[in-house]
Amino acid sequence: MNLTRNPALIEQLAASYALGTLRGGARRRFEGLARKDPAVRAAALIWQSRMASVSELQPEVAPSAAVWKRIENLLNGEKQAKAMLAARVDSQPSKNESTGWWASLNLWRGLASVGAGAAVAAVLVSANLNTLNGQLGGEVQALGGQVQALNSKLLATPEIQYVAVLADDKAAASMLVTFDPKSNRLTLKRVGGFQESADQSLQLWALPQTGGAKSLGVLGADAVIKLTAAGSDVNVPTLAISLEPKGGVPSSGGPTGPVLFKGAMIQTAL
Amino acid sequence: MTPLNPIHPDTTLIALIDRVALADEKALRELYEMTSSKLYGVAVRVVTNREWAEDVLQEAFINIWRIAGDYKASLSPPMAWMALVVRSRGLDFLRRRASERADKMQELDDVISDTVEGDSPNPMDTAMASEQARVLHHCLGQLGNKQREVVSLAYLRDLSHGELAEQLKLPLGTVKTWIRRGLEQLRGCMGRLA
Repeated sequence: MNLTRNPALIEQLAASYALGTLRGGARRRFEGLARKDPAVRAAALIWQSRMASVSELQPEVAPSAAVWKRIENLLNGEKQAKAMLAARVDSQPSKNESTGWWASLNLWRGLASVGAGAAVAAVLVSANLNTLNGQLGGEVQALGGQVQALNSKLLATPEIQYVAVLADDKAAASMLVTFDPKSNRLTLKRVGGFQESADQSLQLWALPQTGGAKSLGVLGADAVIKLTAAGSDVNVPTLAISLEPKGGVPSSGGPTGPVLFKGAMIQTAL
Repeated sequence: MTPLNPIHPDTTLIALIDRVALADEKALRELYEMTSSKLYGVAVRVVTNREWAEDVLQEAFINIWRIAGDYKASLSPPMAWMALVVRSRGLDFLRRRASERADKMQELDDVISDTVEGDSPNPMDTAMASEQARVLHHCLGQLGNKQREVVSLAYLRDLSHGELAEQLKLPLGTVKTWIRRGLEQLRGCMGRLA
């Protein structure tokens, strides 16, 4: 096939190459030719550039304002992570801008929702863990003592393997969850104002990638709740809390009440 | 550019991308304000779902923030370069999703069928588009509506003839013919104009 003497054929192949409909062996042969022959390569590049403009011509649609917020939070999180890494763990947690705690929170949510690389999440989260703890106290003064206790526990426990912040449908944080694989201990800390009535219970659920929700336990009314769970139970993308009759769902089925809080499970180390 | 023309949007966008490359957050914000609707439109077309498209837009802007320094070397019109980032992130998103749950295909199917039924004359939007895109717009305008749509979707969603035929519920031969003729017409038209 003396392709290089046939400009029309080169153009045709370059166009289908750029469009993406040239596939399989034909595509590989064309790529081989392009590497050898500058004229073929030029045609391929020109058509790639032309096709790229198809994207430019799509109708505009305004995204929701939340998208920029998420981008901003990710950038802030990145900055914090860099600053924290640079300052090393030993030094005092720095007083970050007002966005600190929320930035971290939204950072996790954002990362979780896009399913971004676990490695990135792990680095950012482990770097943010100290900041997070440093700021928790200020944010929920009312729960001061217990937060401090959890705070020092978190700082003193490098074995924290998972962290999740469960938020309500208005994205307000309501429950901080950590998991320590050494003691198989799930610790839940109420950070929002929600309190179930006396005839109701909150129930914690693991939401695996496939299959139904699995109960991790019924929550007591205390501000800090400890549950026992196996590592395999909490190795799920998402946790959720539903409002159930007192004592939780009686059968072994899934939640029967409304899901109040939900959040992504973030692994703090690989 | 004649003195009568206002500053071409490309000039503004390039200046912003240059500042973003220097980690200027204000510039990223301005860039976002100027382009997010356009780019979100691309994301919606690629992934067919508004919520997913928001994730894609977010990933794309984080990506642009990190690789803005590479923009110059691409020699592309700025909007084409950014749209390409969005498309790549969108295709990544679809691949991840496809591997996560195969049952989503049905959903995708319906949305795509919807878009191809749409017979609006030449719905493409040239606001903010580069010169190259205007020429392409003109040339795509010479194609029949469905033919133009099939060519656009083949590119945006990186679909093979077979995948297009399956998803658009068209005979494979029809898809192949439309694409071949579409590309021939584009080749003639673009060759004359660009």
